[in-house]
Amino acid sequence: MMNDFVRIEKISKIFTPAKGVAVAALQDIDLTIAQHDLVVLNGPSGSGKTTLLNIIGGLDEPTQGQVSLAGQRLTGMGEKEWSETRRDHIGFVFQAYNLLPVLSARENIEYIMRLQNRTSAECAARSLEVARKLGIEAVLDALPHELSGGQQQRVAVARAVASKPRLILADEPTANLDSKNGNDLMEMMQRLNEDEGVTIIFSSHDPMVINTAKRSIVLHDGRVVEG
Amino acid sequence: MYRFVFKMALNSLMQRRSRSLLVVLMISTSLWGLLFMEGIYDGMTEQLIANAIRSGSGDVVLYGKGYRREQDIKRAIANHAEILQVMAGDPRVASYSTRIMQDGLLATARGSRPARIIGVHPEMEKRHARLDEYMEQGEFDFGGQGKKAIIGARLAEKLNLKIGSKIVISAQNSVDELTSIVLRVGGMIRANNMGFDETAVLVSFARANDMLFMQGAVSQISILLHDQSDAHGVQESLLHQFSTIEAFRWDEIAPVLLQSRQMMAIFNQVTSGLVFCVAGLGIFGVVLVSVLERMREFGIMLAVGTRFRQIGLLIFYESMLLGLTGFALGAALGGSTLLYLQSHGLDLSLMSEGLNAFGLDSMVYAVIRWNYFSMALGAVLGSIILSTVIPLRILRKAKPIQAISEM
Repeated sequence: MMNDFVRIEKISKIFTPAKGVAVAALQDIDLTIAQHDLVVLNGPSGSGKTTLLNIIGGLDEPTQGQVSLAGQRLTGMGEKEWSETRRDHIGFVFQAYNLLPVLSARENIEYIMRLQNRTSAECAARSLEVARKLGIEAVLDALPHELSGGQQQRVAVARAVASKPRLILADEPTANLDSKNGNDLMEMMQRLNEDEGVTIIFSSHDPMVINTAKRSIVLHDGRVVEG
Repeated sequence: MYRFVFKMALNSLMQRRSRSLLVVLMISTSLWGLLFMEGIYDGMTEQLIANAIRSGSGDVVLYGKGYRREQDIKRAIANHAEILQVMAGDPRVASYSTRIMQDGLLATARGSRPARIIGVHPEMEKRHARLDEYMEQGEFDFGGQGKKAIIGARLAEKLNLKIGSKIVISAQNSVDELTSIVLRVGGMIRANNMGFDETAVLVSFARANDMLFMQGAVSQISILLHDQSDAHGVQESLLHQFSTIEAFRWDEIAPVLLQSRQMMAIFNQVTSGLVFCVAGLGIFGVVLVSVLERMREFGIMLAVGTRFRQIGLLIFYESMLLGLTGFALGAALGGSTLLYLQSHGLDLSLMSEGLNAFGLDSMVYAVIRWNYFSMALGAVLGSIILSTVIPLRILRKAKPIQAISEM
């Protein structure tokens, strides 16, 4: 169903940092996110935004509950299925950029497409197209450590969108950027959402991100309190 | 995909040049040392065997029937001319020499020692065992009338003999009479074959023939072959053709030498194992640290959809590239060092006394065998593969987010 593109049912996550100590990061979360939506998970530090994002993307496992993407149940899938789902359907943008340090900007952008066994010509054309949209075509041959924070985050966004995923998960994407770069990034994400129809879920407590989003879901102490 | 992962592995190694170089140097220097050690130790063993063969039995040695059981001079080879004719037509035979041998006594004005009297043809010995090359003092020549003798260097030292010293050699002849002749020392010979150097008294064949009343018969025919592996075939064919002789291979005459070779092979294997354990631990440590500190990178790769086995392949490629580069460099260094030492030798004259006591020359020539390289390659690859197993196990258990944020 179009309106249930991402479906989160009764998700709880309990961490046990030490024996006998249990911390509930998420408690009984029920959510649905529609396709082409631009959603922000909002809330103070420790509210469970990143944990929820990680569970949606399969980077972490819930203690209970389940997640579905376009009607396909993701929770409980094996390593192979999860890798293929992340590779083919989900793009990630991390707060700390998380580019592969040994690859150039171009190779980072092409990385997921290479995993998908796309041809070199296809990878090159798509990476150039995305780089032009994001204004980073001049730095394609630079290594991550040679780029500024803003440039690295654009490369990270380019990597996430180049393989045309159906869903992008962006964890505090503006947290390490100044206001100008943060603004630019949000404009780009908005354009991608509108032009390419990608569903985007942010986690952030940055007002600029919250104002850009079409929908804001507020979390507090691991529970949805609004949205 | 494989090409892409390989390119990533290459990129990764080039980006981390210092660490890559460190691992390559560790592997190559360990291998260099190992190859040097193996080549020199095997060179020593082969020299020990070669000295014993040249100055003693040859590759195959013939005696009269029953001589080995009871070393009686009467058990001589009378039909040696016929045997020599057969050997002259055998393409496997490189050279041969006929000798008369009898145990006796060497006496001087100051003392006496047991001695092995060996009657030889000097020209034949020069062509055959190149005994002249072992001369320490004097010349490999018995004088016009055969009045000179060449004495084993250790025997000469024990009796304080010098060139020109007068000696008396006595022995029982073939008709059971005790005979003696007076000779002058014409030279000292050191073959680094302990038994030979401590007892040999070389005299001219004619002198020995007269003294021991051999009537032209010989005690021993020493045979050297072009290829030592033909020894068994030559032995069998001579025994088949001549019923009056006994034929032995060098390893039957001196099994202890064969044991030395086998012991050295075991020693080399144990040493290689130890060297590679130590080097392997070093390699293991460096590769382990290098993989562990990249857990975050691998976590990112997992997060964006890389399969675990693709990361395993990446680590495998990187390790193989390091291992094979280290192996190539070490093999090139070790191989060229051994090639140099094979032709020029390693001068260990500072330790010559100790080496000579074990029957070794002070100039050691290295040996090169292909199995040094194949074994080393196996050990390098083994160390490298083992060193990637633990980090991969850690990564396998981790969730991508743990790898990204905690490691």
